[in-house]
Amino acid sequence: MKEVEIIVGRRSIREVNEEIKAAVLSGQSVYVRETLSRHNLGVGLPASAKVRFEGSVGYYCGGLNNGAILEIERNAGWGTGEGMSDGHITINGYAGMATGASMLGGTIHIKGDSGPRCGVAMKGGTIIVEGKLGYQSGFMSHAGRIIALGGAGVSCADALWAGEVWVVGAIESLGVDTKIVEPQPEEVDSVESQLSQYGLEDSSREWQKIVSGERLWYFESREASAWLMI
Amino acid sequence: MAHDLNKSYQFPFEPPSEEDIAFNDNAIPNRPAGVPSSYDEGGSTRWTPDAIAEVQALAQLGRYQVRGYNTFNKRLPTFDDLTFVPATMTRLPLEGYRESCNTTTILGGGTGRVEKPIELKIPVYIASMSFGALSASAKTALGYGASKVGTMTCTGEGGMLDEERQASQCLVYQMTPSRYGVDINHLRQADGFELVMGQGAKPGTGGLLLGMKVSPRVSMMRKLPEGVDQRSTVRHPDFLGADDLAVKIEELRLATDFRIPIFVKIGATRPRYDVAIAAKAGADVVVVDGAEGGTGASPELLLNHTGIPTLSAIKPAREALDECGMTGKVSLVISGGIRSGVDAAKCLALGADAVMIGNAAMIALGCNSPRYEQDYKKLGTSPGACHHCHTGLCPVGITTQDPELEKRVDIAASAERVARFLTAITMEITMLAKSCGKSSVHNLESEDLRALSLEASALTGVKMVGMDKVFAW
Repeated sequence: MKEVEIIVGRRSIREVNEEIKAAVLSGQSVYVRETLSRHNLGVGLPASAKVRFEGSVGYYCGGLNNGAILEIERNAGWGTGEGMSDGHITINGYAGMATGASMLGGTIHIKGDSGPRCGVAMKGGTIIVEGKLGYQSGFMSHAGRIIALGGAGVSCADALWAGEVWVVGAIESLGVDTKIVEPQPEEVDSVESQLSQYGLEDSSREWQKIVSGERLWYFESREASAWLMI
Repeated sequence: MAHDLNKSYQFPFEPPSEEDIAFNDNAIPNRPAGVPSSYDEGGSTRWTPDAIAEVQALAQLGRYQVRGYNTFNKRLPTFDDLTFVPATMTRLPLEGYRESCNTTTILGGGTGRVEKPIELKIPVYIASMSFGALSASAKTALGYGASKVGTMTCTGEGGMLDEERQASQCLVYQMTPSRYGVDINHLRQADGFELVMGQGAKPGTGGLLLGMKVSPRVSMMRKLPEGVDQRSTVRHPDFLGADDLAVKIEELRLATDFRIPIFVKIGATRPRYDVAIAAKAGADVVVVDGAEGGTGASPELLLNHTGIPTLSAIKPAREALDECGMTGKVSLVISGGIRSGVDAAKCLALGADAVMIGNAAMIALGCNSPRYEQDYKKLGTSPGACHHCHTGLCPVGITTQDPELEKRVDIAASAERVARFLTAITMEITMLAKSCGKSSVHNLESEDLRALSLEASALTGVKMVGMDKVFAW
C-alpha cells in the first residue's frame, strides 16, 4: 500500500486531520511527520486506515477512533484512543493519563508504562500495557480487559463495575470494592493468546485477575463496611 | 402605712379552690399546665416531625435516602418575586392579541465557528432527560412534540435511541462524565453536542439510576450489569481543568467536522466563574441549570441542599459573558424549575437566550395526571404529589422501564399535549413581550421587570418596586 507523508509542524490541526482523513478514505496509509506533540491528531478516523505518527503526540490522539490502525512512534499524551469504538492503537513509548478512557472496543497496546487512570470508565475492548499500569487504572470501568505486565500503581481497578484487570507483578494497592480471583485456565489461555499476537506470550506467568467485589452494586446492601469504604 | 414585706399577705376573701384556678372547664384539654408546649403538636423548631422521620429513616437504612423529582426546599426564592412592568407612557406596547412578535432563537451562531448553528422557532426547548430515567416511549413523544413546534430535545446521558432520533428533528447529543452510550456514529447524527459538567439538581455528583430501571435495553446501551444501582462518575475521565476542556472541545469539533455547535452544561454553583471558563474554553452555548432542576433519582440531601436557585444564577451568568466580551457570541441557556411562559419570559428578560424545560414537559406528557389512581396509592402518593421517578414504577409510564407501564404512554396524544404546551407557553412569552413593547422575545430586558422583594432585587439586579432602584450593597 502506498504511504503518503503529511507534515504537521505549526499548521492547523483541522487542516492536517482533514488531509489524513482524505488520504485514509482513498485507501492510502499515512505517515504523519513533525507532530511536535500537538493535540487532537487523527481524531475520529474511519475504519481500515493505517496511520503512523512520528515522534510523540499530545492529547486525544486517535480519540473516537472508528476502526483505524494507528501507531505512535514514541510517547502519547492524555486520553489517547478515548471513546474509540474499534481499531488498534500502538504506543511505542509511554502513555499519559486516561488512555482508552471510555473506549467501547478495539485494542490499545502500550509498550512502556501507562499513565494514571488508564482504561477509566472503559466499556469494552482491550488495553495491553507492557510496563507498569498507572494509579487508579480501570477506575469505574464497565467492561473490557486491561492487561499489565509490569505491575500496577495504587488504587488499581478502583470501584470497577465489571470488566477485568489482569496484572503480572506487584500491585501497590487495590482500589475499593475489588477482589483478586483465581483465573480459570481457559481465561489464562485467552489472555495469553491475545498477548501472543504481539509475541508476548509466556506460560510461566503468575496472573492476578482483579474483578469487581460487587459490594457497591446495590443500595440495599446492609453491610456498613461496604459503604464506609467509599 | 408601709406594708411589711416580710409578713405574708392574705387575700381579704376566701382562698380559691385549685379547680377554680385551673378553670376546670376542659377548654383546652390537650394543653395541661406544667408542659411548656402542647402534648399533641409539639413545637420544637429543630425536631420537627420531618427531622425526626429523617433520623428514624437513616437509623433504619444505614444510608442516605434517595428520590426523584426536584428540590423540596421551601426557602428558595422564586420567579414570583418579579413582576413585569409593561409599556404605558414612556414606551409603546404592541397589540398583544394581534401584532406579531419574533420568537426565532439561534444557538451557537455567534461564534462563527459552527457550520450549522441551531435555529429554533421558539425560545424554549426540552431538557436533557436520559433514556433510562425516562421510558423510550416518553422520549419519543417528547421528540415528536418538540418537532411539531420547531424546537429541539436532548438525549440525556443514556445514549441516542433510534426512535428518538427519528422523532426529534433537532437533537442534541449529550456526553456526561460516565459517557454512557457515547459513540462516534451517534455523534455524527447529532445536531448539537452537549458536554455536561454538572446538573442543577445535584451539581458535583454524578447521575443515579436505580436497579429497577436498569432493564436489558438500558444495560445494553450503558454497558452495565443488568439491575445494578447505577451511580455515574462525576469527573470527566480524560480532562480535568479549563485548559484541558479547551483541547477536548477542539477534539469534539474535529470529530464532528466543525459542523454542529458545542454546548457546555453546568449546574448553577458559581456561575460567574464557570460560565466565563466555559465560554473561554470554546463553548458555543453555555447551559446553566439551577438548583430547582429535576432529576430521575438523587440522594435527597443533594436535591434540597446543593446548588443555587435559578433566579440567582442568571445575572452572574450574563455578566460573565458581558465581562469577557462573549455576549452575542456565546449563547446562554437557562433551566431549572421553569414552570410556565411567565417564568421563561422572566429568564429571557434577565439575560437568557433560550430556556430549557424538563419537569414541565414531563407534566405535559402526563406526569402526575389523575389516572391510574390505584397505582399512585400503591406508591404511597397521589396524583399531583408524586415524586417517585426513582422507583421505576411511574403510574403513567413516563419514568419507568417496565414494558407494561410504558404502554400507558400514548405517544401520539402525549406528543400533541407537549406541542400544545410549548405553543401555549410561547404565547405567554410573546404576550408579555408585546405588552412590554417588544417585537422580539429576545428584546425583553431587565428594565421590563420590577422586584417585589428586596431579596429578588438583590439577586437579579432588577429595580425594587416603589424605590425604583436596585437594592445593592
